[in-house]
Amino acid sequence: MTWRYIKDRLMLILASALGLILVIPIVGMIWLVVSRALPALNFQLFTQVTVGTGGGLANAIVGTFYIVGLGLLIAAPLGIAAGVFLGEIAPTSRFSAMVRFTTDVLAGVPSIVIGYFGYVTMVLGLGWGFSTLAGAIALALIGIPYVVRSTEIALSKVPRGMREASMALGANLTTTVWRVSLRSAAPGVLTGVLLALSLAIGETAPLLYTAGWSSYMPSFALTHSPIGYLTYVVWTFINEPFASANALAYAAGFLLLVFIVLVNVIARSLIKRATVHS
Amino acid sequence: MQLSMRRAAVGIALVSTLALAVAGCGSTTSAAKSGPVALQETGSTLLYPLFNIWVPTYTKSHKGVTITTAGTGSGTGITDAGNGTVQIGASDAYLAPGAPSGLLNIPLAISAQQIMYNVPGFNSTHLQLSGPVLAGIYTGKITNWDDPAIAAINPGKTLPNLKIVPIHRTDGSGDTFLFTQYLSFSNPTTWGSSSGPQYATSITWPPVQGSVSATGNGGMVGALAQNPGGVAYIGISYLNQATQKGLGYAAVQNKAGNFVLPTQANITAAAQGKVSQTPKNEAISLIYSSGAQAYPIINYEYAIVNDQQSSTQVASEVRTFLDWAISSSGGNQQTFLSQVHFLPLPAAVVQLSQNQISEIK
Amino acid sequence: MIATPGRENFAERVRKGATGGRAGGALDALQSLFHRRVGDILLKVITGAIAGGALAAMLAILIFLLRDSWPSILYNGWHFVTTLTWNIGSLYSRTLSHHNGATAASGAAFGIVPFIVGTMLSSLIAVILAIPLAVALALLLVEYLPARIGDSLSFVVEMLAGVPSVVLGLWGIAVLIPWIGHDFGPFLSHWLGWIPFFKGPIGSGQGLLASGLILTVMITPIIAASTRDVLRQTPRETKDGALALGLTRWEVIRGVSLPWASSGIFGAVVLGLGRALGETMAVLMVSGSAANYLPQNIYSPIGTMAATIVSQLDSAMTDPTGMAVHALAEVALVLFLISVVVNVPARLLLSAAARRGGSEAQ
Repeated sequence: MTWRYIKDRLMLILASALGLILVIPIVGMIWLVVSRALPALNFQLFTQVTVGTGGGLANAIVGTFYIVGLGLLIAAPLGIAAGVFLGEIAPTSRFSAMVRFTTDVLAGVPSIVIGYFGYVTMVLGLGWGFSTLAGAIALALIGIPYVVRSTEIALSKVPRGMREASMALGANLTTTVWRVSLRSAAPGVLTGVLLALSLAIGETAPLLYTAGWSSYMPSFALTHSPIGYLTYVVWTFINEPFASANALAYAAGFLLLVFIVLVNVIARSLIKRATVHS
Repeated sequence: MQLSMRRAAVGIALVSTLALAVAGCGSTTSAAKSGPVALQETGSTLLYPLFNIWVPTYTKSHKGVTITTAGTGSGTGITDAGNGTVQIGASDAYLAPGAPSGLLNIPLAISAQQIMYNVPGFNSTHLQLSGPVLAGIYTGKITNWDDPAIAAINPGKTLPNLKIVPIHRTDGSGDTFLFTQYLSFSNPTTWGSSSGPQYATSITWPPVQGSVSATGNGGMVGALAQNPGGVAYIGISYLNQATQKGLGYAAVQNKAGNFVLPTQANITAAAQGKVSQTPKNEAISLIYSSGAQAYPIINYEYAIVNDQQSSTQVASEVRTFLDWAISSSGGNQQTFLSQVHFLPLPAAVVQLSQNQISEIK
Repeated sequence: MIATPGRENFAERVRKGATGGRAGGALDALQSLFHRRVGDILLKVITGAIAGGALAAMLAILIFLLRDSWPSILYNGWHFVTTLTWNIGSLYSRTLSHHNGATAASGAAFGIVPFIVGTMLSSLIAVILAIPLAVALALLLVEYLPARIGDSLSFVVEMLAGVPSVVLGLWGIAVLIPWIGHDFGPFLSHWLGWIPFFKGPIGSGQGLLASGLILTVMITPIIAASTRDVLRQTPRETKDGALALGLTRWEVIRGVSLPWASSGIFGAVVLGLGRALGETMAVLMVSGSAANYLPQNIYSPIGTMAATIVSQLDSAMTDPTGMAVHALAEVALVLFLISVVVNVPARLLLSAAARRGGSEAQ
């Protein structure tokens, strides 16, 4: 047992201890949310809308899926297209470097700034009022950088030989991108989309001033109709001195955690499948 | 095989997206014509509990309308009614002189605000607080509960050496308006002077070390419960929740110099002197009225409504709802108002409100 | 070896694609159109335009923020970032304030120093605490733990980075604040009270420390995940060689991994800093939303720029002159510029680290 060896062990213990410190708040948070939410979880949570500070969460659950789904519908095609450009079409151009850099910085722009931008341009500027579309576009702006990046990275991992083979067989660029590169990179691309999805589900700040809030079931109207979502319930109802409101806040927090774990597990299994194949 | 399945899936996704978009466009127009009219209310957290009691009852007997409520602060109520994002804004404050023209402030009920505190051991007694003492606390001149200025108006009570935490609202708030108006009227040469903080739905709070702010009346109750030594102004519709949390509320000094509690009798006494002075546009402060027993912080709870609504149908639903709300057989019944400690509008004010409601087109 | 989602032979698939493939279906028709050269040019143009959209979006955000905050820039000048008081003016007064061609409510003056200080200090606390935690976590994942466990834990860490900030805020309100107010604050004040900023009064627990701790929990997983990626790029052969020479794991980490990865780790930390500076909801829920004064100690209530935009926007909108909203736009602009200034070097460092990893691996 030399000092060097002891030092090595000590460092391992120190690192583990530091790692454990992070476990405490995380486990505490999960325990808090689960234990407070369980008594509030019942069937009417999913069937009833919010009434005042009580009732259910049906409006917020449907609303969350609606805004996030629409946001993804905007973010995914745009993000994948931009990723294809960066990864396949002009990976080394100066323009691409600029775009790559900008998307990275865009990913770092605080979400409240995006929300404020959406409020000024869409809610007031275009006169949409608080609306699903304004919220969805704000979420899309936040999600796009992640889709772009993971698409590009996934494409860069497709072996060059595959593309060359495709071209040699007479396929043009479009076919090669569509049938070969994107197909092979699909799990990675999808992971990026799921990452954006998981981020979008948990966002609050950009929605407060774009989507507003509604205690009714969402109509399918894209503009001029505010919409409810789960994170609003958490943030607003924890402040109310009514037990029913606090119970809803915890229940909403619990559902958010469940959705995010689900999305991450799906993304994980996709990555696994992809690596098994290759 | 697998490829064509995939293609089919993509096709279905595309088609359903389109359908969704089409349905979306469709329902914007159809909702305005056939389905129930959707009204949105937002604003005052003081009125919020009352709206939450009103709306389920009202929509049960009025099937053609849905009403969303939100407690966001009077500031938002005024703004959103002004820019048309909601039909009904709720506010404890009347409109400022510079408010957009076309906005009406229509009283719905009479409300009050209590001054609450969290001083362990004294929360079940009613401490006595005055305008000058409260102004001293909120400007940082009085920082401890055992300050002589507080002791002087609370004879026989030995208050602890506990740091005072002044709590105020972050959001634009009618309660801030009422409280700061009380401070302005009771301290005309300091707080209310042109160089003082004066009153508004949101003001510049003098910097007091350790002061805390909270969102909404609900947030104020929570913050006060968390902060021993705290003082907070809280709308009377939250009185039950706050006292259930073991918080105390003060007897507040009125214009006549007496310390009074926000009881129904004292609120009525305060309203009496002011009701007859209510002008046609109903923008009037009821703060600090004279009368030996008059509680000093009372107000009209306003619906802020644009006189030009997006369609005649919406306008008609707004009128019907507001007329119901101020009617003594509708929203102004004791069964509703007593739950939030509000008082019904006097008949003369109901008449003025009805006149304003009829202007909504 | 090659990811083949379909069962078809690869060459077969390409051939079908190249010759038009199966008939029928709108997508096929679309594709056969694309098979011409025109298709390729279109693809380049369309994806290029969309990629350029990112540049446009960034530019649009900057332009709109600038346009919206212009009156405030005129009205407040440098006072905006040098004074303490956020005063939207007297809205119920009939007079107005004019300055430099811009109009505001009577007596309005906007200074955001307390928000800047609150933002910086809370983020600083978070970064100081998160660095050792995150680096330790990343070292465990990459260097110490067996690959299988490390991978699963990595997944958990990534998932933690995605916990919604409002949910973390719930924990902040229910657990963290009372704990600081009753236990941790008095403890710190008692033992570290000789350090100026650590002495009481402690207050309720809402404030700078609570904000800093909740930000620590938020950014540690983010920094750890990026640090792990950088550490994974460390040249395997060098490390294996060093281990074979009889160096301990820690000596390898100190001698090889950490020096090699240091600039990348720095990039990861700055990335976490950027996240902390812009975090809104969790901070709003625990900070106490102080305004107009600077924190006196580590327990003082604070306000941050991001949280202020949310908490003040509705009251700002009641200002009929619109100046309060312009001032908030300027807060957003300042926050935007800070986030760009922080993110640019972080990204440069991280991509340099990735490039180095790539070139060494080849």
